[in-house]
Amino acid sequence: MEWDWEFVWEIMPMLLAGVRITILATILGSALAAVVGLVIVIARRSANRAVSRTVGFLAEFIRGTPLLVQLYFIFYVLPDIGILLPPLLAGVIGLGLHYGTYTAEVYRAGIENLPRGQWEAAKACNLTPVQTWIHVVMPQAIPPMIPALANYFIAMFKETPLLSAITVLELMNQAKSVANSSYRYIEPITLVGVFFLVISLISVIGLRWLEKRFGRVA
Amino acid sequence: MRQFLALAGGAAFALTAMALTAGSAGAITLEELKEQGFARLAIANEPPYTAVAPDGKVSGAAPDVAREVFKRLGVPDVAASISEYGAMIPGLQARRFDVITAGLFMKPERCEAVAYSEPILCDAEAFLLKKGNSKNLQSYEDIAKDETATIGAPGGGTEEKLALEAGVPRDRVIVVPDPQSGLKMVQDGRIDVYSLPVLSINDLVKKANDPNIEVVAPVQGAPVYCDGAAFHKSDTALRDAFDVELAKMKESGEFAKIIEPYGFSAAAAISTTRDKQCAAAQ
Repeated sequence: MEWDWEFVWEIMPMLLAGVRITILATILGSALAAVVGLVIVIARRSANRAVSRTVGFLAEFIRGTPLLVQLYFIFYVLPDIGILLPPLLAGVIGLGLHYGTYTAEVYRAGIENLPRGQWEAAKACNLTPVQTWIHVVMPQAIPPMIPALANYFIAMFKETPLLSAITVLELMNQAKSVANSSYRYIEPITLVGVFFLVISLISVIGLRWLEKRFGRVA
Repeated sequence: MRQFLALAGGAAFALTAMALTAGSAGAITLEELKEQGFARLAIANEPPYTAVAPDGKVSGAAPDVAREVFKRLGVPDVAASISEYGAMIPGLQARRFDVITAGLFMKPERCEAVAYSEPILCDAEAFLLKKGNSKNLQSYEDIAKDETATIGAPGGGTEEKLALEAGVPRDRVIVVPDPQSGLKMVQDGRIDVYSLPVLSINDLVKKANDPNIEVVAPVQGAPVYCDGAAFHKSDTALRDAFDVELAKMKESGEFAKIIEPYGFSAAAAISTTRDKQCAAAQ
């Protein structure tokens, strides 16, 4: 078994198509996770106990079960009750929900880290709840969250090969289908590793910058 | 930046190490298998070719034949591991198994990659569709022509290749991980057609017991294929010993006794040869 550069160039277009889907799934998944996390954290802070308990339980449930199981459920079981999602959308929803439960914890930590005095001061200044959130809480709570959120972004990126289980033609699946018809694993799978490494390294550099920029504000 | 360079250097080192360690395995002899007491088979869990019962017992026509032949060769047992079709030949080359007995049909490029035994199981191709076959798909070419039609097939399987060769674009050939998922995807309308050999589709339909699906068999224009036990390219001595016992079993009728209960035709396998099958469809 030898490394064959000609074969590498031959399969490159297919793998790049896979990279595109991988990045797309990560970006859409992160956007969804950011929103889902926000919804979860707000619902859990709700004064209505029924709401906060139910959402809390659901979030723990999703956080405590494997992503792969959830993907199978979304893709193969939901059609039984009439919900038929295209593979990529099912994958993005799976990633978004799963990582949303993690980002919710990041949000919670950020909000709870805010000294109690800030809330009391806001109240003393007669700010409405909306004003309190927009002008007092968020500007102080969000910057420390950013590095942690970016971390989950990279973690999610590295979990996208799981989507190959529900027939999304992302990078891993493309590499497998190349290997399936050429009987060669060494080049496609190595390239998958290289692609992930390169993109992760670039993301890490971006992450460092974010840490410097926002990390020590609070 | 220094960290980046260190990582890149590490990656380069890992690549070199991988290239160096690969490809060092030699041929496996019958004596080694006898000593070991079992032969390692690659199977796929696609009844009736290969099947794994809930208790883990391996059956199916292909492993049953292999088990009997190996017994006659003095290897008392077989141990099977489930693999994707596409991963079988690379796995064989990497010495993860001693032989593939999974209904891996002989095709010229596979004959290049492995050493096949004489033919064992022969079958035509079939389609599984929703009742009514509203797009009237009878052949792989029909799927290529209808721009809305999608086909599911096992990754690296014969059907995937047939569909691609017939001109179905890659984005309409969905790689389906296993027959159960393929059935589900047809029922859910995710794909129009799921394609497997006739006997596999029939088995799947029988198990599904769903009045809303139907079968097109055989697929028009698709050839009849035969599989053989696939050995590593350098294990031709072992393959030849396997062939001798297989031929004896074909002669004595025991071969038919094993595969016919599964629905396969022994006459079809006896009437053709490896050379014919490997040369076919050039």
